[in-house]
Amino acid sequence: MSSAAVPIDPSASRARRLATRADLTGYLTALCQALGADSYMLVAILHDQRRSDVRIVASNWIYDATLLVGHHRIAMLAESAQAAALGFRPEPLVTRAAPAGLGGEDARILDILGHSEIYALRLNVGRQRYFLLLSSEEPGILDPHDVMRAQMRCCYALGQVPELLAATAQQDPLSDRERECLYWVSEGKTSDEIALILGVSGNTVNTYVNHAIQKFSASNRAEAVATAIRNGII
Amino acid sequence: MKKKPLSAFTQRDHRNLFGANARDGAGDPAASIPEAVQRCRWIAIDIGAAEFGLFFVSPSLERARLLSSFDSSFPRVSTAAKFISGQNGEALVKHTRVSTTPCWWADADTSAAAARFAAHEFVQRIDELVPGSPGIAFPVFADRGQCGLVVFLGHDIAIEAEQILDIHARCFWLFNAVSRLSVSHAEKAPTMSKRELECLKLTAKGHTSDSIATSLRISVHTANQYLTNSTQKLNAVNRMHAVAKAIKLGLID
Repeated sequence: MSSAAVPIDPSASRARRLATRADLTGYLTALCQALGADSYMLVAILHDQRRSDVRIVASNWIYDATLLVGHHRIAMLAESAQAAALGFRPEPLVTRAAPAGLGGEDARILDILGHSEIYALRLNVGRQRYFLLLSSEEPGILDPHDVMRAQMRCCYALGQVPELLAATAQQDPLSDRERECLYWVSEGKTSDEIALILGVSGNTVNTYVNHAIQKFSASNRAEAVATAIRNGII
Repeated sequence: MKKKPLSAFTQRDHRNLFGANARDGAGDPAASIPEAVQRCRWIAIDIGAAEFGLFFVSPSLERARLLSSFDSSFPRVSTAAKFISGQNGEALVKHTRVSTTPCWWADADTSAAAARFAAHEFVQRIDELVPGSPGIAFPVFADRGQCGLVVFLGHDIAIEAEQILDIHARCFWLFNAVSRLSVSHAEKAPTMSKRELECLKLTAKGHTSDSIATSLRISVHTANQYLTNSTQKLNAVNRMHAVAKAIKLGLID
C-alpha cells in the first residue's frame, strides 16, 4: 500500500457521522480494509489497584483467539513500550520472528491465530486514552506512515461517539465536583483548604472525596489519587 | 498479572517520523525551548501560517485556562497569544478535554480561508478565537496526562486533506518534547532510595503505614521515616501530594 493513495477514511462524506455501535464497527472494518490489516481490537485499560484490566470496546478477533490470548497478554501488548504514541513512528511487533522477551509460546500463539505482525497504537480522545491493535497475517504488508494516519483518524472518529466509549470503558466515573476535589487532594491540599478554595464546607469536601474513593473501590485518599492519575482523570 | 518488562518492547523509538519534512534530519527530541520554537516555525511555514503558538491546558477545572508556552514572537508574547490565553480560550479548553479533532475559525471577511478549512472532513468550526485572523488549533496530549493546543494563525493557511494528519502528528511530537522539557525544568526528578520508592509504591496501592511496615518487615516508625523523606525529596506537602508527583514524574507506575 502506498501512503499517498487511497483516502483511508470510510466516512468520507460529512453527513455520515458515527452514532451507533454498528457505525463504529463498520468504521474500523473499513479502516482495516483500506490499510490491508486483517484484524483490529480497540481496548481501554483500567488501572485497578492491583492489576491492569482490559475492556474491549470493539474487536473482530475470533472469540477463541481473544480467549486463548487472554486479557493479560492483550494488556501487555497494548501497554508495551512499543505502543506508538501519536506523533511517533509506529513499530510493528513481528510475532513470527519470535521476539525476545515476549515469550516463545506467547508469540507462537499470536502467530498461529493470524496475528503475525501487530501494531499497538495509543489513541487520545480528549483526555481519555484507548489502544488500538492492528494485526495482519503476513508481516510487512502495512505501511507505518499509513498506520500513523489511520491512528490519527481513529482519534478524530472516536470523538464522535463519547457515550458509546464511556459505556464500555467507564474510565471516568466521577462527577465534576468529585474530580475537582480529588484534583486538589492530589495537589496536597487538606479538606479545609479545599473547602476554602471551592467555597463549600469541609464536610461537603469530605463527602465528595469519600464518594470518589468508593467509586474507585480504593481504600484511602492516596490510592484514589493514584488511580485517578493513572487513568488520566485528573 | 503485573506487566513484565519485555526486552522486545523496551526499545522505545524516539525517532520522529516527520523529521525529514521538518528539515531537521536527525529528529532527536527538541532539546530546548528555542529549538522547539524553530520546529514549530517549520510547521507554520509548511502550511503557510503567519503566526503560531503552543499552549498548555491548566489541569485545574476551576481555572479553565490556556497557559502560553511560546509563540511566534518568542521570547516575547504576541498579542494573539494573549487573546487565546485570556477569556477567549475557555470553549477551546472544554473541547480539548473531550476531543482530539482540530478546530478552525474565520470571520466572514476571509471566506477563502473558511472555504479551505470547511473542505476538511473532521475539523470543527468554532467561534472566532482571535479577531481579524483565521486560524486552526490542534489539541495535543503528552504521556503524563498533560494536554495542550498548538495554534496556527494566518489568512493564507492551506492544508491538504491528508496533510492535516501529518501536521497534527508533528504537533503531537512537538508537544511531547516541550512537556518533557518543562517537567525537567520545573522539578528535576530527585534521587530516591530503593526503600523510599517501595514505601511510596505501597502507599499508592492504598496501604497504610502499618501494613507497609508488615509487608516490608520494618517498624512503623521506619516506614513513616521513609515516607517523610520521600515527601520532602519530592517537595510535596503530604503523602497524597507525593504520590501524585511521583506518578507524574514517572518514578512509580
